[in-house]
Amino acid sequence: MTRLLARVAENLYWASRYLERSEDTARIVRSFTDAMADMPTSVALTWEPLLAIAGNRELYDAGHVRVEEADIVRFIVADPANPGSVTSSVSAARDDLRTTREVVPVDAWHTVNDLYLYVSSNRESGVDRRTRNRFLARVVDENRRLDGVISSSMVRDDAHAFWRLGQWLERADMTTRVLGVRAAALLDSPDDEHGSVLWMGVLRSLSAMQMYQRTVRGPIEGGAAVRFALFDAHFPRSVAFCLDRTRKSLQYLPRSAEAQEALAAASGVLRRLPSEVSVPGADDTPPVLVGRELDEAMDEIQIALGNVHAAVADTYFSSGERRP
Amino acid sequence: MMCRSSRPFTDPSHAANTLVIRGRKPDVVTMAELRTDDDTWDELVDGRGKARAGATEVVRLLEGLGLSEIQERQDLAEIDILSSGITFAVYGDGRGVDRAWPFDVIPRVIAASEWRRVERGLKQRLTALNRFIDDLYNEQRIIADGVFPAELLADSVNYRPECRGIRPPHGVWAHISGSDLVRNSDGQIHVLEDNLRVPSGVSYMLENRAVSKRAFGDLFARQSIMPVDAYTDRLNEMLGSIAPPGIGWPTIAVLTPGIFNSAYFEHSFLAQRLGAVLVEGRDLIVDDDDCVYMRTIDGLERVHVIYRRVDDLFIDPEVFRDDSVIGVPGLMRAWRAGNVGIANAPGSGVADDKVVYAWVPDIIRYYLDEEPIVPNVPTYRCMYEDERRHVIDNIGDMVVKPANESGGYGLVIGNRATRTELDEAAARIEADPRNWVAQPILQLSTVPTLCDGRIEPRHVDLRPFILSGATTYVTAGGLTRVALRKGSLIVNSSQGGGSKDTWIVEDERATNAQRQSGAV
Repeated sequence: MTRLLARVAENLYWASRYLERSEDTARIVRSFTDAMADMPTSVALTWEPLLAIAGNRELYDAGHVRVEEADIVRFIVADPANPGSVTSSVSAARDDLRTTREVVPVDAWHTVNDLYLYVSSNRESGVDRRTRNRFLARVVDENRRLDGVISSSMVRDDAHAFWRLGQWLERADMTTRVLGVRAAALLDSPDDEHGSVLWMGVLRSLSAMQMYQRTVRGPIEGGAAVRFALFDAHFPRSVAFCLDRTRKSLQYLPRSAEAQEALAAASGVLRRLPSEVSVPGADDTPPVLVGRELDEAMDEIQIALGNVHAAVADTYFSSGERRP
Repeated sequence: MMCRSSRPFTDPSHAANTLVIRGRKPDVVTMAELRTDDDTWDELVDGRGKARAGATEVVRLLEGLGLSEIQERQDLAEIDILSSGITFAVYGDGRGVDRAWPFDVIPRVIAASEWRRVERGLKQRLTALNRFIDDLYNEQRIIADGVFPAELLADSVNYRPECRGIRPPHGVWAHISGSDLVRNSDGQIHVLEDNLRVPSGVSYMLENRAVSKRAFGDLFARQSIMPVDAYTDRLNEMLGSIAPPGIGWPTIAVLTPGIFNSAYFEHSFLAQRLGAVLVEGRDLIVDDDDCVYMRTIDGLERVHVIYRRVDDLFIDPEVFRDDSVIGVPGLMRAWRAGNVGIANAPGSGVADDKVVYAWVPDIIRYYLDEEPIVPNVPTYRCMYEDERRHVIDNIGDMVVKPANESGGYGLVIGNRATRTELDEAAARIEADPRNWVAQPILQLSTVPTLCDGRIEPRHVDLRPFILSGATTYVTAGGLTRVALRKGSLIVNSSQGGGSKDTWIVEDERATNAQRQSGAV
């Protein structure tokens, strides 16, 4: 088997990152919409956390004055001017995959092409509340179909390693964003009467609700939810799990010492966190994690993941960093 | 395979028969109605509206289906194409880089008995052309023997003196070629031109078949249509055969100019089917050892064979155009040293310009001592007194073309030109006879085609693909291109042309005889 072309490795890695981003963003918007629908009208609602999770508030503010639901959702789901929107991510992934079709299973291309055709001709339905769920569910489902194709029919070679590497890095990053913004805010808010509904929203945005309940049992509790999303070694969206799989992908590749070292820094942040997580007002005897610390730690992990990316680009990609 | 329950066996031909005997639907199609004028040859129906050899089943099915179901199959085929991402690119097109490949669901049919003759003719033609190219870059016997004029070679824009003295494996230069065939109103198939540089279209031939098998599964089950899928395997085999000696299993790369090239889809498709590496010029490097390497995630790795889809003028800025950014500096060095096989060999285009075309019948006679099996379109070379007289005397029935590669400039179509224009053309020919060739005006054959909800005849050509290596292989059929505008002869997809699947069908009588003798 010949080694993978550097240019192709870069395109695959980005295709995979963009697709994971589209899926995760779709799921976050979906669960957020769900949680908002559950809130009584007496509760003041804001959609701004979505902008914070997506991490492109500045770009939004440059083009928008209002922070209404429709504007924010359009920006995050369907705005071609937002490079991180669901539709932009799908479209960028398809562009990258067009130049790497020869190394991925043909059905993977068909799936991504179908998804692209769907999102580009149904943009507005992703914004309208009546059709939003169907649109976002389709994005998630097609991505899962794709994951199935990759799992069941792709040789475990360089191309597969770069595909998975992009996927795990992006997923780790997205989980830290959800925790850093929504969970941190909830940890710090004095016990909200709708707390458990909001925590369910956090878990759902990570596809973690059912698995949390099977693993942790008992009623939904903030500290346990955060622990599960951070540390659970068996849940495929927890930060710990994603970092471990990133490490395995890197181990498959030649000359990955530098990237592995950068990754070790991310795992180090995780290890230093107190394993007990608490909400204010509870009995704080052992060291516990509060919202501000969680937020800071998630930022640290994101920076470390950025360093992993830089090392990967430096080691393997011919043209270096050429994308946002 | 395990089955939970067996279903009663149904004969598929039964179902189709009931369609026919159910009576005339309001939207019924009769092929006889398609016969609109007697000057053209239709590939499916003859002058009396009867199905031609090999086309009986298709015509019967189309009549049985009726227009609305044919339209439905067309719509499904289009969805199929869109979803599979079968595209082609158009330069400067406002709608983005790639467009869905245009496909008409009604197939073009050729009887296998006729095709076998065409296949022999193409093998003969490419064998002779490869001998010709090898001769031009080496001994030049054909010039010394006075068969091919030396001054034509001197004028040729596709001759590459840098290739003199090179002897590629098997003496073959044009490994992959596509010859455009047209059928005139008399039913005779002619070669219109040869494409020996980087002919494209074979991926669409293969995809058209995949789509049409899904659209007409009923017909594929019932008759013997020759498969086309073996092409990429034969291509793989041929490419492997031009690797430098002593290599176990060669690393083969398809060299593409990149995503913005109009044939990028095909480059990617072929790399997939070959299991080859799809490379751009920037992925390759020729090192001081005159070997070609690609840049991988773990450093440089040797490449043994390059199927180039980049024009030879751009492949190596050290030797040809020094402003080329899509080439690989040093590639010619590596090729000369025998360290890499290149298909098609640089310089092979010398045999596909319009002037050489006129000499192909002579080239076949010279190298093979045979008469051409598939004729050229008669081409008159104005440099010869008798041919020039014929052109000038019959200029109203001729297409007059400049002999060099300056595009369509100076082209005059006799029956569409005024008397003054014809006189001017004649004067130009007399002034510089070597620069002009002329051909009779052809009437391309037609195939019934779905156009805006109706079925109408549209003109077609056919591009079969020929692989030349240790042996020669011709695709079963080829890519049928169709001019979608009424009366138009322009089949290029970039200018409103479409495509059809091409079925080489065992003639009914032959098939029946085989069935009876149990040979199916």
